[in-house]
Amino acid sequence: MKADQPPLLEVKDLNISFDVQGGRVEAVKGANFSVKPGKVLALVGESGSGKSVIAQSILRILPRNGNIDSGSILFNDPGKAGETVDIAKLKANDPLLYDLRGGRISMVFQEPMTALSPLHTIGNQVEEALTLHHNKTRKEAIADTEEILQLVGFPDPGRGYEMYSFELSGGLRQRAVIAMALICNPAMVIADEPTTALDVTVQAQILGLMKSLQEKFNTAILLITHDLGVVANMADEVVVIYHGKIMEAGTVEDIYNNPQHPYLKALMNAVPHFEMKPGERLVSLREIGKDNKVIQNLAHRFKASTAGKKITGPHLKVDNLRKEFTIRKGSWFGSGEDSAIVAVDDVSFDIKKGECLGLVGESGSGKTTVSKLIMRAISATNGSVTINDGSGMTDVLALSGDELMNFRRRVQMIFQDPYSSLNPRMTVQNILREPFVIHEIGDPDQQQDDVVDLMRLVGLDPRFLNRYPHSFSGGQRQRIGIARALALHPEILICDEPVSALDVSVQAQVLNLLNDLRTELNLTSMFISHNLAVVNYVAERIAVMCQGKLVELAPREQLFEKPHHPYTKALLSSVPYPDLDRLLDFENIATASADSIGEWGGAFLPSNNGNLVRLEVEKGHFVLANENSDMRELRA
Amino acid sequence: MLSYLIKRAFYMVPTLVLTSILVFILIELPPGDYLESYVAELLSAGETVDPKEIIYLREEYGFDLPVWERYFKWASGLLVGDFGYSFEYQLPVNDVIGDRLLFTIIVTFFTIIFTWIIAFPIGIYSATHQYSWGDYGLTFFGLLGLATPNFLLALIMMYLANRWFGTSIGGLVDPEFVDQPFGWAKFVSVLEHLWIPVIVIGTSGTAAMVRRVRANLLDELRKPYVTTARAKGVPEFRGLMKYPFRMSLNFFIADIGGMLPQIISGAEIVAIVMSLETTGPLLIQALQSQDMYLAGSFLMMLSFLTVIGVLISDIALAILDPRIRLQGGVSR
Repeated sequence: MKADQPPLLEVKDLNISFDVQGGRVEAVKGANFSVKPGKVLALVGESGSGKSVIAQSILRILPRNGNIDSGSILFNDPGKAGETVDIAKLKANDPLLYDLRGGRISMVFQEPMTALSPLHTIGNQVEEALTLHHNKTRKEAIADTEEILQLVGFPDPGRGYEMYSFELSGGLRQRAVIAMALICNPAMVIADEPTTALDVTVQAQILGLMKSLQEKFNTAILLITHDLGVVANMADEVVVIYHGKIMEAGTVEDIYNNPQHPYLKALMNAVPHFEMKPGERLVSLREIGKDNKVIQNLAHRFKASTAGKKITGPHLKVDNLRKEFTIRKGSWFGSGEDSAIVAVDDVSFDIKKGECLGLVGESGSGKTTVSKLIMRAISATNGSVTINDGSGMTDVLALSGDELMNFRRRVQMIFQDPYSSLNPRMTVQNILREPFVIHEIGDPDQQQDDVVDLMRLVGLDPRFLNRYPHSFSGGQRQRIGIARALALHPEILICDEPVSALDVSVQAQVLNLLNDLRTELNLTSMFISHNLAVVNYVAERIAVMCQGKLVELAPREQLFEKPHHPYTKALLSSVPYPDLDRLLDFENIATASADSIGEWGGAFLPSNNGNLVRLEVEKGHFVLANENSDMRELRA
Repeated sequence: MLSYLIKRAFYMVPTLVLTSILVFILIELPPGDYLESYVAELLSAGETVDPKEIIYLREEYGFDLPVWERYFKWASGLLVGDFGYSFEYQLPVNDVIGDRLLFTIIVTFFTIIFTWIIAFPIGIYSATHQYSWGDYGLTFFGLLGLATPNFLLALIMMYLANRWFGTSIGGLVDPEFVDQPFGWAKFVSVLEHLWIPVIVIGTSGTAAMVRRVRANLLDELRKPYVTTARAKGVPEFRGLMKYPFRMSLNFFIADIGGMLPQIISGAEIVAIVMSLETTGPLLIQALQSQDMYLAGSFLMMLSFLTVIGVLISDIALAILDPRIRLQGGVSR
């Protein structure tokens, strides 16, 4: 590239603020960066850092209360050499602006479900981007649309054209959005968290697609993300943004091999990665103040509540668990045939006292359904769940009345979404006290003391007890959720994606807290997540689920070092590492995702003369495979 | 589609049978019947009543039959379009209602059109200019319209129309046209009178409608697909109409089900105040005087229109919203 080639897009001293009730909030403070033609610039930051706001300002689609206060956004269109437009200075109804949007600069969004209108066909929406900017006959437009749909990987573009967004999988929806962004062959595509809402194998496919199309069309990409792994695999240059200010900028090699700014260094340390030694701690950006006295106190009481129970053998045992959901098939006008979907299919595992079992799987794999079945939130179609109460195994699925009530004290859950799992109309005080009230434990004074202890336990100031959940941040809310789960001194803690809604820095904080509490209170736990690195950090054994089946179960190190099942392998090879030496192999990616079971190889598929069974390939390492398959084939 | 329609129509049968039983029970519930109140009225007016005549009337109208037999007589009549006999008017119910139905439909039709024409632009403006002075101002006027009692507005409007335009007070036509066959002159006279009830009945409906259009559109405007459309370069107004507005229409289509029965029963009080020859006042009167077949037929017509209205909105929703058309329901 010539040195004097002007940047495609140059952002200079950009200041953006939002009018909010009672004043204004500065979202972007003096941002400077530039995007080179045909290159990928990653804008990295956590939620609230202002990265999406910058993206919206480039297309001038800020929300109505957002203003560009000063600065310029210079766009040098390579199609019109020498002409520079200052997008920040354009009037809101300038026709030039409408030409730029979608025509020269287009956008790919985070949520492929909601980014497409459910009332219009995919073809209609993709084609609209084309016909707005180019004069095409209807026939040409349809042909072009089908061509681009083919290019982004629609198996049958003609059919895809007629389909609606809700009929497609998340990956295909995102492909449609990418088609919409590329159909006018723009000079630049802004991709705002394009893969955050997708499963890891699909993410790898979409990243590969974006990379190949970017090279094919020589399009520049402004990639907005919080995921340092995605950045390492996609970007040529990186800009790190924090609280509206740019902290550090440079080539991807500079940023990863030689981070300078303390924030960036801290961020790099806060991400769980696979090379972590057992016992190694994540470095959280803001460590929670720990109150050891409270923890010890509580640990004492936890012991007291389980006193006299000596648990030998598994603490929780799940055998051949199966859950079917009935689905009314067909359209609204069609016949109302019912068919069953198997959400959980013959799942068996056990958890030892004090152990943490990780349950990994993509969306729809049935991992949350398993947790709900154990919690008795839904009823199982088949199979058994038993819990060890010191004297023997009790059948959880048969409990009723007082016994069930008692069981609820012993197993508690931490939920994924810290926003909707706390009642917004209850104060934290009431939220934390409710378990005591329901189970009639202690008098009001005692309950009050316990609530204060719980707050200290998770590092929150008891003075905040009278506040409502909305006045806490996501991480703080999740800590309230943890405190609530611990209120009844449970023996078993089920964590369902407890950190997936949190930023990286907060994620480290919550993971550390969970790890500390787990060891000090000697809790048995099950940790559900789609994030392999997170599971690797907390769990001792890991179970992998795919389409309702448990395909592999192994001790942590073994699973990562010697995965046997093709699905586990695909999963592991799809994770983008924040490491330039371990880039994703986009050429051979994810041939064995959940959608392509047929390519798994005969040993892992049921056949006419053999069903799928759990085979122990090594001690404690189970793989779901055909009962007639050769052990050597599996170990290969 | 056809099989669905047949199935849906079939579901309507038990609904209507149940309502007819309920309606019949309701009109039978008050003690006494039309003849008793008729006799009481005559006696209180100082007239003598021949008991033989009463017995004759009783047999004639079937009041001496057991309840269930009377129900079957009435219900089977409904099936062939015979709504029974109005005692008060001494006419078949069909004739009593028939005259008024036309006027009612005219008034309601124009009221609905009036409501839409006013409410949609205002609602769209309010939603796209949320918390602006325009939004606040229109909301204020809307609430004012909602809060003003209709009968009060009716009286004021009638007075003003009479002062300024010389329109005759009350009714839907000038007195000389009453009982005249429909002609151009009568039609003009109807139009002259029509605008007052339309505005009076429309104001409160408009205000409520504006709020609903605004709320529904606001919900949709925040959705990401709106941003997608803007990022594509879709001009603002075109994008507004194609995406969020179309989406927000769902509520409104679902509303059609409730609108049909309003056609014959809506705005009784205004109709009484303005002495409109619509069906609303008739229903109230029939209920008061225990004119059971008239009242019962009215109620049945209302429920029939409700059922039909819901069917129409269901079909319209399915045509407009592919999610309803193509997605199956999930049960746990």
